[in-house]
Amino acid sequence: MSSRTEATVRPASKGKKTRVSVKGNLSGSWLGLILPAFIILLWEYASRAGWVAPHLLPSPTIVVDEMSSMAQDGELWGHITITLYRVFAGFLAGALAAVILGAATGYVKVIHQLLDPMLQALRAIPSLAWVPLFILWIGIGEASKITLVAVGVFFPVYLNLTSGIQGIDRKLIEVGRIYNFSSLQQIKKIILPASLPSFIVGLRSGLSLGWMFVVAAELLGASQGLGYLMVYGQNTSAPSLVIGSIILFAIFGKITDEMLKRIQVKTLKWQDNLENAS
Amino acid sequence: MLAVDHVSRTFQNGKAGFKNIDLQLRRGEVVGVLGTSGCGKSTLLRVLSGLDSQYEGRIRTEAERPEEAFGMMFQEPRLMPWLTVLDNVRFGFSKKDKKSEALELIETVGLQGFEKHYPKDLSGGMAQRAAIARSLLSQPDILLLDEPFSALDAFTKMQLQDLLLSIWEKRKTTTLLVTHDIDEALYLCDRIVIMRGQPGQIESEIFINRPKPRKRGDAHLAELKEEVLKELDFTKS
Repeated sequence: MSSRTEATVRPASKGKKTRVSVKGNLSGSWLGLILPAFIILLWEYASRAGWVAPHLLPSPTIVVDEMSSMAQDGELWGHITITLYRVFAGFLAGALAAVILGAATGYVKVIHQLLDPMLQALRAIPSLAWVPLFILWIGIGEASKITLVAVGVFFPVYLNLTSGIQGIDRKLIEVGRIYNFSSLQQIKKIILPASLPSFIVGLRSGLSLGWMFVVAAELLGASQGLGYLMVYGQNTSAPSLVIGSIILFAIFGKITDEMLKRIQVKTLKWQDNLENAS
Repeated sequence: MLAVDHVSRTFQNGKAGFKNIDLQLRRGEVVGVLGTSGCGKSTLLRVLSGLDSQYEGRIRTEAERPEEAFGMMFQEPRLMPWLTVLDNVRFGFSKKDKKSEALELIETVGLQGFEKHYPKDLSGGMAQRAAIARSLLSQPDILLLDEPFSALDAFTKMQLQDLLLSIWEKRKTTTLLVTHDIDEALYLCDRIVIMRGQPGQIESEIFINRPKPRKRGDAHLAELKEEVLKELDFTKS
């Protein structure tokens, strides 16, 4: 059977293949919108019919009104930009540190034995426990918030990268040795591409932790940002502010994750998995 | 072309691996190494290819840089899953280098049209074809094949054996083929070396003076097979 396949298999025309998969993705993403849309409609109806108290759960239209009037004042943009800035700066710093340390512990055994136990122990500390210390050390300004986000981003990226490097197939490394690769060539041509899938998974979960930590940092001590807006809404009994901020967090979290996901799909189209099955 | 003098590599206090191997390969010769499992025949290839440097004895080649004398092909294709067939074939060379040679080899192994495909889209036989092309690109003096077709089904195996024959016809690559398939060795090789024991030693050599391509049902080959089976006799210690 397989020998017959051998003889008859011909490369499929490329255009056809991609068109089918794009179509599949598109109808899939439309399906995903049905449930949220239904919930929003139900929520709006429930508010208008008076099923829920408006001072606890305002209707979607009120939330949107409130947020858009804040946007027109220009006040909202300040909160959004400062939060985005904290997430991105923290994400970059945390991911960069994780790449350097993860690569070092992944390639060099001595460094692994030296550093990994300590990093694993630090990971066991609930990250919010750092907040008082960071505020004491670096003050209440931007630096302490960015550091907290970076700590949150660091661990998933670090763990995924090291486990990715350690999980590389020894058989592929041997191919490099047949070619008499130097360690630098081994890293560039085999180790890096082979560990890329788990690295990107690490980046994605790091980013979602980054969003979580920015909320924590802003709830605990900030005078601006979406997290601060939530505290402000709580203190002034304005649930529409809290709900609006939650929705904005959801939107920006989704957008940034989608960006990483696009990169993931694009760079990992060689992977033999369900996602790439056509 | 290749001279192996008294090379030993043993594990587990001398109970595994191989011992005192003497072997010479002439230019263009195809030599098969047959043996029961655990006799160290794959270890021999690992030593020759430089994957295992903990051996005693001497290995001499005619190449200026001995480490570049060997090309190796494994039981599994071992293609890089993130590279296309074309990039896998010219793996180890800088981009744009060797492109025409690589394309030519891809055509030789019958993969034209699949240059841009990833290994996940290839069948086992096609992946092994790509691996053959990759091992030939550097034009090694000596090609080492470690049970290259043992994971394939019978029909694909025969196709690829014929492919190797046609490649040898053209390129006259000196080859050392490790296998446990007696028919494969008889069909492809000019000479068969039989290894036995733990640690393995060369027990005997059988010359096959039959022009290639041979018939798979050749009566002379059937006689030789009897002889090989006798040499491999498992009851003898």
